[in-house]
Amino acid sequence: MTNFIKDPVVMMAERNPDPVFSNDELVFSDQEKRLIERWKSQYPTVDGAIMRVLWLAQEKFGFLPPEVIRLTADEVGIPYANAYGVATFYTQYYKKKRGKHVLDVCTCFSCQVCGGYDILHYLESKLGIHVGETTDDGLFTLQEVECLGACGSAPMLQVTNGRYVMDLTHERVDALIDTLRKGKTPEFTSVTLPQDEDELGGNRRSDVKEFQASSPRPVSETVR
Amino acid sequence: MAKITIDKTIFEFEGDQPSLLQFCLDREIELPHFCYHPAMSAPANCRQCLVEIGNPERDRETGQIMVDEEGNEVIRFFPKLMTSCSENISDGLVVRTQRSSDLVRRAQKDNLEFLLINHPLDCPICDQAGHCPLQNQAYKYGPEGSRFEFRKVSKPKHIRLGPRVVLDAERCINCTRCTRFTSEISKSHQLTIVERSVKNYPMTPPGIEFDEPYSMNVIDICPVGALTSEDFRFKARVWEMSSTPSITTTNAKGSNCYYWVKDNRVLKITPRTNMNVNEFWLADDDRLDYERFNDDRPPGPTVDGEASSWEDGYARAAHILGNVDGNRIAFLGSAHASVEDNYLLARLAEKLGTAAPMYIEHVEVGSGDDWLRTDDRAPNASGCARLGFTVADADLFGPRLKGGEIDVLYVLEDDPVSTGLCTSDDLHGVSVILHHYNESNQTLPLATVSLPAATVVETVGTFVNIDGHAQRVRPAKAIRGVNRTLAMEIGRSRADQHGTPFDRWYNEENLINCQPGWVSVPGVANALGLDMPTTNPKAIMAELASTNSAFEGATYSAMGEYGIRLSEIGETV
Repeated sequence: MTNFIKDPVVMMAERNPDPVFSNDELVFSDQEKRLIERWKSQYPTVDGAIMRVLWLAQEKFGFLPPEVIRLTADEVGIPYANAYGVATFYTQYYKKKRGKHVLDVCTCFSCQVCGGYDILHYLESKLGIHVGETTDDGLFTLQEVECLGACGSAPMLQVTNGRYVMDLTHERVDALIDTLRKGKTPEFTSVTLPQDEDELGGNRRSDVKEFQASSPRPVSETVR
Repeated sequence: MAKITIDKTIFEFEGDQPSLLQFCLDREIELPHFCYHPAMSAPANCRQCLVEIGNPERDRETGQIMVDEEGNEVIRFFPKLMTSCSENISDGLVVRTQRSSDLVRRAQKDNLEFLLINHPLDCPICDQAGHCPLQNQAYKYGPEGSRFEFRKVSKPKHIRLGPRVVLDAERCINCTRCTRFTSEISKSHQLTIVERSVKNYPMTPPGIEFDEPYSMNVIDICPVGALTSEDFRFKARVWEMSSTPSITTTNAKGSNCYYWVKDNRVLKITPRTNMNVNEFWLADDDRLDYERFNDDRPPGPTVDGEASSWEDGYARAAHILGNVDGNRIAFLGSAHASVEDNYLLARLAEKLGTAAPMYIEHVEVGSGDDWLRTDDRAPNASGCARLGFTVADADLFGPRLKGGEIDVLYVLEDDPVSTGLCTSDDLHGVSVILHHYNESNQTLPLATVSLPAATVVETVGTFVNIDGHAQRVRPAKAIRGVNRTLAMEIGRSRADQHGTPFDRWYNEENLINCQPGWVSVPGVANALGLDMPTTNPKAIMAELASTNSAFEGATYSAMGEYGIRLSEIGETV
């Protein structure tokens, strides 16, 4: 966001880009179609289903170029323009091709104070890319995001719109990258609210018996 | 009766009412707003029409309205301001607008400050300046200056959304009127708001062009200069032009419009609200149909191809008509000409003992839709039919000419050659008297006498649309020469009713040497020595309204600005 304040320029998306996927590729399987039909029936009007269908399309195709958005609109039965508006509104829908794993590092207030930017910069140097870029092997894309709602476990990042990895330290980042390189998904970590800590005897996780929260919270190097 | 209090004034109402904002606007209580449009849904996203709203407080147990010590009702106001565009009206509602509430004034001012943060200060070069809701409302309700110290956001500029509409995304305030127009009114679904927050702007999705036949309506409803006309951009400022309420003539719908004139040239056509005809909208064809009023106009009357005076033209026409038997003359009325002109032509034919005029049908099958465009590309076929004219049949008419049955062809404001009613060869040996609008008229080279006719923007007259709606046209630009009726009507068409032709940024060079049909047809008749005293279109219409049941009630005062619906005439025209 900081760059945008210094240089607030909105570039226009290409108006007639060449399609990435061929017409043969642009089909939903029968199973996916059944799923879409079920979602459509779950909303008062069918347009409610577009977000889930876009999500499904993103999982299937990896990202959402215009022809995929058009496919989802046709499948749901809403105007292409509406689907395109929805897809461009949410940053979690990828309009451009990303790496296999997208690392969304939170740099919003709480994480920033607790070292969100330290983690981001560490990842930049570790992966050899700048924020917003993808590694040459196509494995990692590094992004800076606003609050993901896990301030109690700051600093944190999210892996490809999925798992949260929290209480980040350099060691945990190293471990995460290794895990992802091995093709595994990081472990799920449950979180209770910090104010419940006393009640639970300091164990902030409900899935394990004992857990040591990184307390006191880390502090950003800049702040320190 | 239910009542509502707005700024301490009590208004009574009955039955279903529009939103609070529209209720206020209908009663000339101005509330600033951008996103609200009476024809479309109210998303309440501009936040400009905020007001304080409260209801009388009721005792929870008895249900009685509570009163204070002085006997006044106790009003419980909503804790936050409400958008009046999305607020329904109910009995007992109490509203405070910017007239009586500091809170509302403050909210409107602050909201405008937000809207203006990223709005470029390019009013001096913006087409919308002068009739811009944002400009007007910032002036009336906005802050005095800007406190924003950062760079304004740069967004895409001069983007051709389609062949007729240009986008300047920086000026956009994201009211979504344009996208709602395409999704709710025209249903082309060609526009959407892309991106989010400070980066968003209206756009077509990739691979789509904004080319629907009603695309230019978004230019009018855009409350800022974000959407401008490819055709009209940078041609003239709004205060340099005069606007005249009239109707468009590209088809038989007779959509209401304003003709915008500068230096006696029509530069732009915009819709005029008439809920009985076109509501708020106008088709793109109608808007772009103005060049024929300015260019390709004849220099003056001709006789045998040579320039002549009007008197000589009338005299020659009278000479031709007077020297043949009445049944060897064919009169062609016109679906492009007004009812008055056609009526006078019918009177002339009657006096010469000729059959009633026929008219050429201008139907192009497939060019219409179920909305504001019709297959019939002429404005007044209904008027001709109501006058008892029949459609000229090319299969019969050409052979009659060729067979020598007709010596004189009198054409009122039409073009029998280009419309295929007859060929140039058919007209060999036939004297043609032609009233024409344009030099490119293909019958013109064959005309013995040509009398340039005033177009719809230069005359006074009545047109009947496809639904039987009779509407007046008013002169938007002046013609060469003095005509008192036209001069008076030009004055009356202005809002204050006291204009003169000189308000039109009068320029001698752009005056066309032409005459309205209600001057030139009687001119010919008088040269023939026939008595045709009625040359005032208002009197002609009054006469028609009282004598012809097909035009019952269609007087000028009854038609006014919005026209009247004539009664059905059935099959027995």
